[in-house]
Amino acid sequence: MQVKRMKPLRRFFAIRGMASAMIAFAALIVIYVVFGLREPNVFSPVNIQNVLRSMSKYLIIGIGQSYLLITGNIDLSLGSVVGMSAMISATLMTHGTHPMIAALIALAACLVIGVINGLLVGKAKLPPFIATLGTMFTARGIGYMINNNRNTDAIASGIGKEAGDAFQSFFYYGKTLGVFNTFWVAVVVFIIFFFLLSKTRTGRHIYAIGSNADAAKLSGVSVFATTTKAYMVSAFCAFVVGLILCAQAGMGNMEAGNMYEMYAVAAGVIGGISPLGGTGLLLGTFAGAAVWQTLENGLNMIGAQVGLQRIVIGVIVVFAVLLDVVVRRGTRKRIR
Amino acid sequence: MGEIIVTMEHIHKTFPGVHALKDVHFELRSGEVMALLGENGAGKSTLVKILSGVHPRDSGSMTIFGQEYGDLSPKQAQALGVAIIHQELNMCRHLSVAENIFLGREQTRLGTLSNREMEKEARRILGDLKIDLDPRKVVGELPVSKQQMVEIAKALSTNARVLIMDEPTSSLTSREIDDLFRIIRELKAKGCGIVYISHRLEELRYIVDRVTIMRDGQFVSSANFADTSMDEIIAAMVGREIKEKFPRVSTPLGKRVLEVRNLNAGRMVRDINFSLNEGEIVGFAGLMGAGRTETTRAIFGADQKQSGEVILDGKAVSIRGVADAIRAGIVLAPEDRKKDGLCTKLSIRHNIALPNLDTLCDAAGVVRRARETAMCVNAIDNLRIKTPSVDKDVATLSGGNQQKVVVAKWLARNSRVVMFDEPTRGIDVAAKVEIYHLMNKLKQQGIAVLFVSSEMPEIMGIADRIIVMCDGRITGELSAAEATQEKVLTLATRFETKVAAANQ
Repeated sequence: MQVKRMKPLRRFFAIRGMASAMIAFAALIVIYVVFGLREPNVFSPVNIQNVLRSMSKYLIIGIGQSYLLITGNIDLSLGSVVGMSAMISATLMTHGTHPMIAALIALAACLVIGVINGLLVGKAKLPPFIATLGTMFTARGIGYMINNNRNTDAIASGIGKEAGDAFQSFFYYGKTLGVFNTFWVAVVVFIIFFFLLSKTRTGRHIYAIGSNADAAKLSGVSVFATTTKAYMVSAFCAFVVGLILCAQAGMGNMEAGNMYEMYAVAAGVIGGISPLGGTGLLLGTFAGAAVWQTLENGLNMIGAQVGLQRIVIGVIVVFAVLLDVVVRRGTRKRIR
Repeated sequence: MGEIIVTMEHIHKTFPGVHALKDVHFELRSGEVMALLGENGAGKSTLVKILSGVHPRDSGSMTIFGQEYGDLSPKQAQALGVAIIHQELNMCRHLSVAENIFLGREQTRLGTLSNREMEKEARRILGDLKIDLDPRKVVGELPVSKQQMVEIAKALSTNARVLIMDEPTSSLTSREIDDLFRIIRELKAKGCGIVYISHRLEELRYIVDRVTIMRDGQFVSSANFADTSMDEIIAAMVGREIKEKFPRVSTPLGKRVLEVRNLNAGRMVRDINFSLNEGEIVGFAGLMGAGRTETTRAIFGADQKQSGEVILDGKAVSIRGVADAIRAGIVLAPEDRKKDGLCTKLSIRHNIALPNLDTLCDAAGVVRRARETAMCVNAIDNLRIKTPSVDKDVATLSGGNQQKVVVAKWLARNSRVVMFDEPTRGIDVAAKVEIYHLMNKLKQQGIAVLFVSSEMPEIMGIADRIIVMCDGRITGELSAAEATQEKVLTLATRFETKVAAANQ
């Protein structure tokens, strides 16, 4: 047949969501250079390492939230599950549980929240905003109660200094190939879920129910199973970030992960994930998380107030969605 | 016939990459129904969108009621009395008839709504059109035909004198169409000019005064309807003679493939029994809302059924969900392609692959891209889907090509039974014929084909056997040889008489 081979560059940009992701990367470079010109320290190796480490948290939760945004849903419980993961693993470790076992138990608890979200949204058909608002409070409450409404002691007090240091080093303070381990953890998570989303049946189903759940259902896709899988992915991502925060503090903080669900939405949306579902690439989420962190870091480095930082980030998020809307309107016109 | 009220001359319009209108000429007189005809993509919609202010034109002039205009805004067009009724109705489903009619122009007194006055006014407008409808009814609870009439009433309440109707009959039953035509005649008598866009050529003769035919963005011809034959119209639309409108192939009847016994699923599917054989196409005829769509959905497992057996190749199969049906080899190409058929934000590739991922993935659930590409390219070839690449978004395709993608999804796998629900709705003549050819091909391959259609000629022309439904029940079965339009219609209107039952 007359299937023309597009030129490689055109084919690259023909991938749905690629244009938005590339715009986010371009914005990243501009932001980075602008700050670097104001404050040369932005370019220093130490700062780059710090940025890579800090953006990792946003990237991982951003991946989780992106899965939901692509299905046309949202996960507001994400930040609370981060906190729950940190509190459960830290509490267990202060009682001398092996970090591996502690992590597995925390993972199981997080996945339960994911499944509940899936049941509420995919089966009971509650609006995702409301369903996950409920689990958001519930998960945060569980996080509080794990250690009797107190932050935990240092994890080293339970598993010993050596094991404690090893845990903290593995997730936060250690370096591999000159880059903090946190970043490598994020890279591994990214690769796994990038593969799952773009190369597997499950990934296809996630895009399909986000684009048109009725049509997907009539094509034999289980909307319930797919929604649940997406919520489990986000719960898994929250679990990983919980471990990272636990390693960073060396203890469990009850407020760990507060507001992260919103940071995650921001990272996805800046990277061109449509909050209406059906489109977006994790590559965009990567760029979005990096833009976010570069902004925060750059504004810090030039000594901007915290309030100003928040305002700038707020404006950027709205601007990113606005751009998406404008681009969409443009394409719709072209299609007639 | 009245004076000329709309003249459009030398209209050009380009969209990025498409020259949608080239030097188009159009004229409308008061008190006439002007059919605007052409295949999908001929530029009809673009033309009426320019007239109603939705799109600006690139060049050309418009004269409306003697006044020349450049570009119009939708608001200006409305003020001039140009109203458009879209194929997809634009109503607030949760609001009442009166609220919809006065939406955006609510009458108030001292800032509070004058509901009673608006209801009275709405009742007067509906009464003028002889539409029997309570203005307090919630629009979402009305049948589509009534909703459409509300839409017409709304247009008239703004004193529309130019009324554009885009495929107004596509979702109506024959009786509802009669009502619509009656209303159109009323409007004509009041001096309205009506632009009537439709693919259903057979209904033109009831109301149309003149026709304007477009092809590939160009004006082809304009004539009095009485002076032209249907063959001439079709020839002008497609630019070539279509030899056979309904291609029919005969194949010897094979063994029984599907049997449905005592199927019950809600009010619209009651005690359905029928069977399908190899080598035949079975058409499901009936009025809109007869339960045909619901029957196919129940067989396919999309809706729950209360009882009933599905027997495939002599073995009973248990279908609890769509996935079960697909696995067994029973598939359904649904009615509404935008709502049920396609993921419009995804590419052709992803749409065709979606129901076939079981065969395209390896054991780990990873999609085998080469296999997938082969399947999609093959489907595009077989169905002659016009696209430069399998990775194009389905939203960029024309209606006919989108419909082919819906069909392609299901032909890429080896099924035993293929059900089509209104496979040719809203697509052009040439694409329709291709769909017919495709059904014939399936029939020759020994696949049982069932199709639901509201177009009588199509059912008569394609089906080997016609099953007629009315009000959720099968009311009769006719072979192609014995079927006449009258017989089908009689069966389709065989409602249960509730009064008699109550009196017994």
